[in-house]
Amino acid sequence: MKQIILTACLVTVAIGGINLLESCKSTDVDASSTTTTPGSSTTATSGSSTTLTTNSNTITTALATTATTTTCASTGVAQVVCLAEAFKATLSSTQLSTMQLTYTKANAQKWSNLPAGLSARNGISLGALSTTQLAAFRNLMVAVLALNATNEGYDEMVGNLVADDYLNTIGGGSDYGAGNYYLSFLGTPSTSGLWAILFTGHHYTQPYTFNAGAVTGVTPAFRGTEPQAAVTAGSRTYQAFEQERVAFAAMLTGLSSTEQTTAKLSGSYSDLVLGPGQDGKFPSTKSGIQVSELSSDKQALVLAAIKLYVNDMNTSTAATILTKYTNELASTYVAYSGNTSMTASGDYVRIDGPSVWIEFSYQGGVIIRNTPHSHSVWRDRSGDYGGN
Amino acid sequence: MFLLFLLAGGSRMALAHPMPNSGVLLNVHADRIDAELQIPLVELQLAWGHAVNDSSAGLVARLGPQLRDYLRSHIRPQSPDGRFWTVSVGELVAHETQNPIVGVYRELTAQVQMIPPGVDSPGESTPGEADVRQFTFYYDAVLHQVRTHKILVSVRQDWERGQLAEAAPVQVGEISLDIVNDRVLPLPVNLASGSSWMGFVSMVRLGTQHIAEGTDHLLFLLVLLLPAPLLVTGQSGSRRRTGRFGWGNFGGSRYSLRRLLLIVTAFTVGHSLTLLLGSLGWVRLPGQPVEILIAVSILVSAMHAVRPLFPGRETWVAAGFGLIHGLAFAGTLANLNLDAGPMALSILGFNLGIEMMQLLVIALIIPWLMLLSRTPVYAYVRVGGAVLAGVAAMAWIVERVTGQPNGLTQGVELVVGYAPYALVGLAGLALYITWRLRRSKQPSAS
Repeated sequence: MKQIILTACLVTVAIGGINLLESCKSTDVDASSTTTTPGSSTTATSGSSTTLTTNSNTITTALATTATTTTCASTGVAQVVCLAEAFKATLSSTQLSTMQLTYTKANAQKWSNLPAGLSARNGISLGALSTTQLAAFRNLMVAVLALNATNEGYDEMVGNLVADDYLNTIGGGSDYGAGNYYLSFLGTPSTSGLWAILFTGHHYTQPYTFNAGAVTGVTPAFRGTEPQAAVTAGSRTYQAFEQERVAFAAMLTGLSSTEQTTAKLSGSYSDLVLGPGQDGKFPSTKSGIQVSELSSDKQALVLAAIKLYVNDMNTSTAATILTKYTNELASTYVAYSGNTSMTASGDYVRIDGPSVWIEFSYQGGVIIRNTPHSHSVWRDRSGDYGGN
Repeated sequence: MFLLFLLAGGSRMALAHPMPNSGVLLNVHADRIDAELQIPLVELQLAWGHAVNDSSAGLVARLGPQLRDYLRSHIRPQSPDGRFWTVSVGELVAHETQNPIVGVYRELTAQVQMIPPGVDSPGESTPGEADVRQFTFYYDAVLHQVRTHKILVSVRQDWERGQLAEAAPVQVGEISLDIVNDRVLPLPVNLASGSSWMGFVSMVRLGTQHIAEGTDHLLFLLVLLLPAPLLVTGQSGSRRRTGRFGWGNFGGSRYSLRRLLLIVTAFTVGHSLTLLLGSLGWVRLPGQPVEILIAVSILVSAMHAVRPLFPGRETWVAAGFGLIHGLAFAGTLANLNLDAGPMALSILGFNLGIEMMQLLVIALIIPWLMLLSRTPVYAYVRVGGAVLAGVAAMAWIVERVTGQPNGLTQGVELVVGYAPYALVGLAGLALYITWRLRRSKQPSAS
């Protein structure tokens, strides 16, 4: 009798223990497969409609509000420092230690065009911010980016987040969405020292480097979007990166057939050459056609494409940079691969100047398969990371 | 499971590259290198022009010869003396694969044999014939045209360095565009030199590891040994009434050791035989039925430990089940695709490793079982152990028949991690009960 009871006990304990372990296991699986985001839902896209819809989540709703409240009346870098400090003041001490980092090249280079879930970012995620904190973040970004331009500047940034929310709802899951974009301050904001604002997420990275009270660099800046098609959130329709694609197509189709032959690269490009992790590797020889060989109206098309990047910055920053790029325009080269219409996967274009470096790659979709989307990087041969 | 983890880890390493990369996995032999090329079709299409990705169905049947020509012209290993190797492209397969960044995509895998100059017939190597460990790897399939392409070159298996395909591939380098100078440079490959001794030792290690992680093999042996120290009751005199056998008292040290030794030796002889035959490819059984039979062998031994099923014939049963376990061991070796010389050393080393680990485990456990088997408590230990092993065996049978892991089998794997504590517990119990028994016997002298 004793023998049976003891044996039964042993078996019960063993099975009980195993069941306990098993239940832990299945909870883990459930937790990781749950990918709901509050405030967002899926609206299926019909084949006939070109506009895709995502119900905007709380983050993009907060960022899209037009009212700006700020006590920072100063101008220029002083105002940015004031707004940066105002943002810091809304954070808890734990949040602050996550967001405020030291300025190192390694920290500055920690950006990517992959979703943050696949390539971890530094800083605090938008998903971790309250409405008040998001408003302070908005005040800061509005000051460094261009305002009141549809799908450019600050509006382009919001549209990019909206597109990523859309990827979240159509199967991308929790790796995607506005909550996975990160802000960090590298170095303490000041009107005298070296510091940077780094905002980086899946298809959008914008650094802003300051030193001795001046803006010293706004690159490498990554832009891109999936889907390339328009996405509606709330009452707004965004198509964050379509104007750039159209501008490049206008620039290339504007060339004569002989000019196109000169501009065409022999190789094929399925991605950016100088994407994340490829810092300072600018080709020693420029390829393609030199802008000085083009007529003035064709030169204007090249400058128009450059402006869609530079004019994303606030007016004073953009003016300085644009003057330099305009002065260097004649020694700038344009090159492409694939089609001039920038409509198919593998279409690629590059603007390579004494300072400016812009690449645009139209490439295969990841979440939306077999539908191309854009990746683009703006670099500056001497201004990346503020020259540091 | 471990392998899956490593594979996941392997794909994580490639995170810096958003587009699908090519991979070159080298399997280093004494006189040649067998390489597996993995080429994403979307990139190959961009480089080669043919619609290999847009129309990938029947690709190999349609474009096989052209694909082989294309690959041959872009794979050129060169020895330090300047001579190029002989390259032949074998099996081509187009299939779907995926990675966390680009999701699902189509890929071409090609089996390529690369033979350095001076080797007449691969597989029959004379030492020092040619050096496979040092060469300049000119490889630019896809990359010759697609300037953003990346090729990751890794060693998957290098027997003489003790590296086996069971572990994660070791990256040798990356072939990609030198952006600044707009050129593609070949990859210098300098593999550290190895030896037969290193290969042998790694096989011994693999053998010990195989047993240490092969819960089922160990469990079988332990359950078979559980009743070994005991006498069978109802054996003499009433042999006619079969089914009335039971496990009796401790049969004495000489009796137990003799039986233990016979059972272990029989098991060893059995699995050594099929390991040899299986590794040489003379006997080949599909993995699934072998794995199911191994689980059945545990169940049968567990039943035998509760009540004698085959008293006096344990040796034969151990040998018979040994034959089955050996087939499972052979599968591991056969997968390595080694040449004759390394294979012979591998079989020896692997078997030696298995023996060493088996003997270690037996040496750690048997003294306590023998000590306990002198006490009345042993009935509980024997039946309890047998029931637990029987439950695990049934769970394994279900898992191996259905191909789906279940809670019990996953639990067993977790519980196994606590085996050292169980051993300490067993030793403690054996010592305590023996001590109690001695004390209670002394005053009463009964």
